[in-house]
Amino acid sequence: MTQSPPLLRTRALEIGHGAKALLPPIDLELGPGEFWAVIGRNGCGKTTWLRTLLGLLPPLRGAVERRQGVRLAYLRQKGSVDDLYPLVARDVVAMGTLRSGACFGRSRRRARNVERALSLLGAEDLAELPFRTLSEGQRQRIVFARIAASHPELALLDEPTSAMDLVAEREAFELIGRLRQQTRVTVIVVSHYIELVADHADHLLFLDRDTPVVVAGTPQRVFDHPAFVAAFGASPTRGPAS
Amino acid sequence: MPDPSADFDAILTAPPVEVSSAPSARAGGPLVASTRLPPFASPAEATVELVAAPTAPSLADFAENFPLYRDPVLAGTFAGLVLGLAGVFIVLRRAVFVTAAVSQSAALGVACAFLLAIYTDVELPPVLLAFVFGGTGAVALAFGTPARLPREGVVGIVYLASGSLAIIVGERISQEAHDVASLLFGSAVLVRPLDLWLILGVGSVATSVLVALTRPLEFSGFDPDAARVQGVPVRGLEALLWLIVSAEVAVTTRALGALPVFAFAVLPAFGALRLTERLPACLALAALFGAVSGGVGYVTAFLLDLPVGASQTAVATVLAIGATVGSRWR
Repeated sequence: MTQSPPLLRTRALEIGHGAKALLPPIDLELGPGEFWAVIGRNGCGKTTWLRTLLGLLPPLRGAVERRQGVRLAYLRQKGSVDDLYPLVARDVVAMGTLRSGACFGRSRRRARNVERALSLLGAEDLAELPFRTLSEGQRQRIVFARIAASHPELALLDEPTSAMDLVAEREAFELIGRLRQQTRVTVIVVSHYIELVADHADHLLFLDRDTPVVVAGTPQRVFDHPAFVAAFGASPTRGPAS
Repeated sequence: MPDPSADFDAILTAPPVEVSSAPSARAGGPLVASTRLPPFASPAEATVELVAAPTAPSLADFAENFPLYRDPVLAGTFAGLVLGLAGVFIVLRRAVFVTAAVSQSAALGVACAFLLAIYTDVELPPVLLAFVFGGTGAVALAFGTPARLPREGVVGIVYLASGSLAIIVGERISQEAHDVASLLFGSAVLVRPLDLWLILGVGSVATSVLVALTRPLEFSGFDPDAARVQGVPVRGLEALLWLIVSAEVAVTTRALGALPVFAFAVLPAFGALRLTERLPACLALAALFGAVSGGVGYVTAFLLDLPVGASQTAVATVLAIGATVGSRWR
């Protein structure tokens, strides 16, 4: 599927909670610099698949193989951020620099990473503001900066644009695109906004629990698949969102 | 080396003594407590003489008799500082009642130590069993919540089970000893030198670890999944945090009592979180509020003839409310 060695590969991966698999076995390879979008109806297993890839949930059967030492970053669904924490935006970005074996102190290199990430996402003016007072769009910018500061090779974003209006959504996808261009990171985004992902993603993974079926490939291949058409109707128009 | 058997000998041999819960007591006119307490002895071994004072207790009286009050003031102040600091992480994890449950588990550990000594001649330091019981309870609550049960429910079960067992075991001890409540929970009026050293030692280690691990603990609480994915050892950090909290709760509950320990672990953090948007400043403020609550609470108890633990809790409450009101003007 890809020329370079894959960052992550799943072999006959079956996901779910309990004994019964949610979906048919999934075989997939993710290469460097790719942009994948995971789509499907509510409850079809998108988040479960993502969390299984990350090792936060065990697979029911099959395997997830990650390249040795691959650096991962994860953005979970909105609503799980706790406003109780006394943090300014810079503190949140600095969390991206914490890794196993690099948890102590404040090195200059880490401070530079934070500044670079803030600059990359155009968020320098937000750096000293309390995180809990930021708007949804500003928070998104800061958590993307946190991901940039962690220098990931693979970033997994679970519905990063949920609860956003259309303008903020579009901006968020542009930020993801900028992040990807500047850092060559492989991105997997779980999203409900099919028009937007059709504009940005190179590959789609369509999950349908009712059929049940898993379709992976180019956006056109997925949009033309009978299961997708049965679930969502005609394929969306690419280009400016309708 | 301290001799843990001193506790058990004291229980079995000491005559009943009455120790006021306030550092001074009034009987017609104000009285000043004069206390003699041998090193490593239990409160039951204390001899308390009440000396009539000509006027109401004043700060001058307190200063004059300070050597008598130095140890409990120091213990209360330092315990407040450390628990105030740890309390920030506890409150941020929305787990304040875990501290209360751990305190009850630690008391059960102390009761079991005395029970073992009385009925089986196995003599273990009570504070060791307090730490083992408290630590087990804390780690179980942090990691072992069964599916479909809210953590608050499990905390309630641990609190009630430990509390009732501690009372049942305490009843068995009380056939042999007097003043079981102060053996299990301490009174904050009298602090044994051993308890003071334990508070200072465990507190210093706890403070150093929490300050060194501030950023990873912050990340692992704020977004545990992202932290785990980035390779931060979230489960190890959580286990370490709760072991530190249970060690601190075990030694301070034994010396000061359950009420001020719970108050120090909640109220200073609550006040500090209202006043700042930076975690390091929040930790410093919470430690300051805790220390002030412990020290000023003791002095207030002396001046107003109040129970010490309640007075320390009241000062912590006033500071928390003051911080909340003050935060509106920020």
